[in-house]
Amino acid sequence: MSKVYTWDQLFSRRQFIKGSVAAAALGAAAGIGLLRPESNLGQGISDQAAVKGTKLVTTICEQCVWRCGVIARVEDGVVKMLEGNPDHPNNLGRLCPRGNAGIETLYSPDRIKFPLIRAGARGSGLWRRASWDEALSYTAEQMKKIKDKYGAKAMMFNSTDNLSQPFFEILLKAYGTPNYGTQRSLCFNSMTTGFLYTYGTPQPGTDFSKCKYMIFTGRNLAEGISNSETQEMIEMVARGVKVVVLDPRFSKTASKATEWLPVRPGTDSAFFLAMINVIIKEKLYNKVFVNQYTQGFEDLLTEVKDYTPEWAEKKCEIPATTIRRIALDFASAAPAAIAHPNWRTSNFVNSFQTERAIAVLNALIGNWAQPGGLIPDQDLSTLKLGVLSHPAFPIAQGIRLDGVPWQYPMVPLAYGVIQTMRDNILTGKPYEAKGWLISRQNPVLSIPERQKTINALMKLDFVAVIDIQASDTAYYADVILPESYYLERFDGLIPIKNKIFIRQPVVEPLYDTKSSLMIYKELADKLGLGEFLPFKDEKDLLAQQLKPFAVDLEELQRVGHYEMQDFKEDHSKDFEFQTSSGKIEISSGIMAQMGKKAVPTWNEPPRPEKDHYYLLTGKTAQHTQMFTQNNRWLLEVFPENRAWLHTSVAAKIGVKMNDDVVLESEVGKVSIKAYVTEGIRPDCIFMVGGFGHVSKGLKAAYGLGASDSALHKTITDPISGGSALSETFVTVSKA
Amino acid sequence: MTVRMGFVIITSRCIDCDACMVACRSENDVPLGHTRNWVKSSGVQGQFPKVSEVFQPGNCMHCDNPPCVSVCPTGASQKRSDGIVIVEDKKCIGCKYCLTACPYDARFSNSETGKADKCTLCLHRLEQGLEPACVQTCLGKSRLAGDLNDPSSVVSMLIAQYPTRILLKEVGTGPNIYYIDEAVPDIPDGK
Repeated sequence: MSKVYTWDQLFSRRQFIKGSVAAAALGAAAGIGLLRPESNLGQGISDQAAVKGTKLVTTICEQCVWRCGVIARVEDGVVKMLEGNPDHPNNLGRLCPRGNAGIETLYSPDRIKFPLIRAGARGSGLWRRASWDEALSYTAEQMKKIKDKYGAKAMMFNSTDNLSQPFFEILLKAYGTPNYGTQRSLCFNSMTTGFLYTYGTPQPGTDFSKCKYMIFTGRNLAEGISNSETQEMIEMVARGVKVVVLDPRFSKTASKATEWLPVRPGTDSAFFLAMINVIIKEKLYNKVFVNQYTQGFEDLLTEVKDYTPEWAEKKCEIPATTIRRIALDFASAAPAAIAHPNWRTSNFVNSFQTERAIAVLNALIGNWAQPGGLIPDQDLSTLKLGVLSHPAFPIAQGIRLDGVPWQYPMVPLAYGVIQTMRDNILTGKPYEAKGWLISRQNPVLSIPERQKTINALMKLDFVAVIDIQASDTAYYADVILPESYYLERFDGLIPIKNKIFIRQPVVEPLYDTKSSLMIYKELADKLGLGEFLPFKDEKDLLAQQLKPFAVDLEELQRVGHYEMQDFKEDHSKDFEFQTSSGKIEISSGIMAQMGKKAVPTWNEPPRPEKDHYYLLTGKTAQHTQMFTQNNRWLLEVFPENRAWLHTSVAAKIGVKMNDDVVLESEVGKVSIKAYVTEGIRPDCIFMVGGFGHVSKGLKAAYGLGASDSALHKTITDPISGGSALSETFVTVSKA
Repeated sequence: MTVRMGFVIITSRCIDCDACMVACRSENDVPLGHTRNWVKSSGVQGQFPKVSEVFQPGNCMHCDNPPCVSVCPTGASQKRSDGIVIVEDKKCIGCKYCLTACPYDARFSNSETGKADKCTLCLHRLEQGLEPACVQTCLGKSRLAGDLNDPSSVVSMLIAQYPTRILLKEVGTGPNIYYIDEAVPDIPDGK
């Protein structure tokens, strides 16, 4: 019987460095000397370095999903500094705080250093070390057992946006389950579906460089950093462009804007419908564009007739005169004016209508493919990588647990509704789920009603997690397959327009970990599905992806990117809209088919009762979702989340800055420090998401702040599948 | 003309992301619990909904008359001929006089070495022709560094073009961080 370890023992440095487990884990190849010996990493170990001298390695960041270019400086085998790659369009040579902090996680004592198999009750924190062969065989056996007994559909596969995701999708399709969970319904389903059903493309770009008037309604670029877009926003502000921010909270983006409008939560669509009303009434829309490229304008006329600024003021609490002024100014800046499509706007059931109104407002002023306006789907005009040839996938049997499309007919299959998948694990309807393979996703902290997600995990026969650290979800797993960190591994190649970029190891893996590419491949082999991922190793796969291009892998690795010289952007299809009518659908054909109102409309959102507050969540520039809170360099600049309370609310309950308060919703209760400010509506409480970790394997982050997932109710927009996070109301009291 | 190294910081371009702080920690092995640079916030000023907030990045001002140098009993704290204020570790006895003397609170006692520690303007990077780490990474091009005596430097061109302010002018330290609060649409090309 092998020795059983607790989390504390697994991650104790003494145990790790000096114990027998450690000696075995490190082996000869990954010597202690590779651990960065710097004091700010808390290692304090210095030994002979494996490789002498300094080298620069070009790779791709993975501290969020933006895929910035990085040049890593490696001194004597130790990663010393990460800098932005000036040749990379996603960040133009600069890194955000998270990108700068990647080194801390690489050398963190909390990395999972070898495969682990649960050795006590689920969630007990008792583990034993396993070899890769044993861990993968065990995982494959469990997955086969589930497939044989209950069918492939009883197994769920989840992953989040990352460069190797296409290969995870091959694995799940080869296995044959219809159940795939992504993060999208917790994020931007309302934006992507709203634009998809209007323009036929989920996420058009925005030309900041020539824009003269910008309205943000859920795109907080100063705190939700998307590197190049954040830089474009800063430049736009510096040029003196009119920037209007609708947000119930005074965000850092709002502090940079020319105008902050503290809109009542859930009523943004009233603001936009009133703008449409004014622009139509004053005949300021682009008649030529509307006639040529849109359908349903007449229906819109009827619908918005009564959505006057005076009507909207009563809903959104922005003065009618302000709405009218903004509508007139916005129209006069057209076509160099943008109502930004935003991002995580799935905050209310009516957010789909908000996004539709935004999409239609842009169409009315004809900013499509115009300087300073919306940019058609850029992905259409990108180099196409070579693909693996594999047998046809089996046809997935059974309906999906997440209700797409049988409960949510309008949600694209690729997006899914993860919160409903979780709910249906618990209900056992329409059938019982039995197993869950989760690749670097953390549903415990991301899906509303954390306790339900934990209960769902406890109910399953088998849970396997692929991650670099002991996430809150890994904490409840039966097996943890440790992935190499992004600075230690290859991933699938990434084409951006006329260039192909590569993520490659900056240093060899420090521990007994593997790239997700190899984990997927070797798991496929063990499942008897190896022919679906036909590659020998990562380099072999990347060579196959590179086949169509006149560059070899070695050259790509050396330069960091490949540029196709005679590549021409294809704009011939910019005005071929992939909608059912081939036009921009002001009146949506699909909505009409579904028997719903086909033009953007007003749906009254719920509002909090007396002594209850809207619970708002959002981002901070220093952390990414639920993924970086254990990074101590980032904790130095953002140590924990706090509850933003308006000064009057704080006075009412008798709390001062940094006092503990208790927030309570219908589904949960948390204690959190107060941040008292004039920068929030008095009817709202805001907290940054991603804190309040429950995994004791995240030693630095454990116990810091509180999780919004413990408070959020599960409310889903039946059209977009978006999780209506801000329809949770809370009470607040002094702790 | 002699070289006089310093910074221009454009507050209107700072979004308080703190990338500069993390980059400095990484480049200079700054121990946890301390920092060589910072971004200070005014806090949310005014009353809802008429509020504002501004951010002011900073670090050692590499003063013309650095009090940290004059109080140093061993000559460890020095003003170089190029204007950069440094601490020569070998000579530092860790007495912390300089920590108290600095009106900008730009120094700390390094818990690992026991020596006074501060921004070096990334001297080791300048020597290789690189920008300081905080300048290199800044998303808003808010932080800029260069020779304040060279009229063709970015910092000199900006100082010539925009109104600037320095911190604690009245204490007479002659700080070499020049703050610009106005919107700066274009960062000039320069050294």
